[in-house]
Amino acid sequence: MTEFYGLPNAGEFWHWTNALHFVLVGLAGGMALLAALLHLKGHEEARRYTLLALLFIALDLFVLWAESPARFRFSHAWLFLSFQPASPIWWGAWGLALGFLASGLLYLGRGPRKPLAWALLLCSLVALAYPGMALAVNAGRPLWNALMAGIFPLTALALTLGVAALLRGVWALYPLRLLLGASLLLAFLYPLTLSPEARGHLWEEGGILYGLILLLGLGVFWRERLAPWAGFLAAAGLRALLAMVGQWQGLGL
Amino acid sequence: MPRYAMAIDLSLCVGCAACAVACKMENQVPPGVFNLWIREREVGAYPDLTVEFRPEQCLHCENPPCVPVCPTGASYQREDGLVLVDPRRCIACGACIAACPYDARYLHPAGYVEKCTFCAHRLERGQAPACVATCPTFCRTFGDLDDPESPVSRALREAGRVDVLRPELGTRPKLFYLNAPSKRGLTQERQVKEVRHD
Repeated sequence: MTEFYGLPNAGEFWHWTNALHFVLVGLAGGMALLAALLHLKGHEEARRYTLLALLFIALDLFVLWAESPARFRFSHAWLFLSFQPASPIWWGAWGLALGFLASGLLYLGRGPRKPLAWALLLCSLVALAYPGMALAVNAGRPLWNALMAGIFPLTALALTLGVAALLRGVWALYPLRLLLGASLLLAFLYPLTLSPEARGHLWEEGGILYGLILLLGLGVFWRERLAPWAGFLAAAGLRALLAMVGQWQGLGL
Repeated sequence: MPRYAMAIDLSLCVGCAACAVACKMENQVPPGVFNLWIREREVGAYPDLTVEFRPEQCLHCENPPCVPVCPTGASYQREDGLVLVDPRRCIACGACIAACPYDARYLHPAGYVEKCTFCAHRLERGQAPACVATCPTFCRTFGDLDDPESPVSRALREAGRVDVLRPELGTRPKLFYLNAPSKRGLTQERQVKEVRHD
């Protein structure tokens, strides 16, 4: 039996608002990548997706600030006044901010188009990579293993392509199926990459939901009208669930 | 420059929580969060029963995982080894809480992350941390690891057994547990679970 005088600070530190951010940042990074690729291809929809990238980046950055308990201490300025290359969140701050700048200039048609599109592409890759890394760097949290660095970028792209498919981007359906299929495969294998006790925790805390999300994801291979919704919801659910249930220290203390 | 560390002799600790209360008072730690707490565990069964009283707090790791993940530099390690938070820089993103394998960090209601500071403000005045000063069983020692005559160095030298929490993570804690009561060393939650399953 374990008892305490006082308590370890083991409560949830990222709440549903952070789970929402984990979804939004996927959309922000994914839209930015899509916009950059469409610009580089000279696609007619490039401007439309640049606006979406701008909106999602702005929305995500707003949610990040609004949900932060430090919001009215305005300490967020330090994100841009320090050099912390070992911190995934620092990379995310710069990736999203510079991505916003690049997509803003692209949308307004200011500045050189090609270099801006390449810059946006780079920023989007940073924004896509950092949320998974922000989880995977925590070696003490058994559920956030190295697979996070793969599942998060993949689900981010699936989210984005889900939205694109909903916006009747017919080209989005094939890559959506491919990337969500890859996400689902990783998500299916993920429990097998965990220690038995971590797998037990995943099962206890989110087992049924996890299974339902995977099942829902299979809907992406079904009817064309259903596929974007299934893809979007499965990718969002997977991201939110992993961010929430992974806040577990294991049994080593 | 000293290299501060703390040692807690678990063969002497009775889990009275005087240290935890002293810390609450000294550092005005808000309700619901703790710089320091006591974990009390029974392991084994009669006649081979052990009770471990284990005060826990920030271990001021030599290799602290909470520092590199901080995106603003608010979380930092001083030359004397103290791991501290500069609240002016902290954006309360929780990356350090996620990275800390010991649950030592919490969100202060004022909107920044806080934790045990080894009573840095007392060290500046030449005083020992409040938890060390108040301990009625004298199980806590503190001092400079690089000074062989410091109380902590002496305690480490004289201990029958020295343990740290979650050594496998490579954090190199500077809070040492001496003379753990169980033959298996510091107890872990998985041992408690095993017993429950039996």
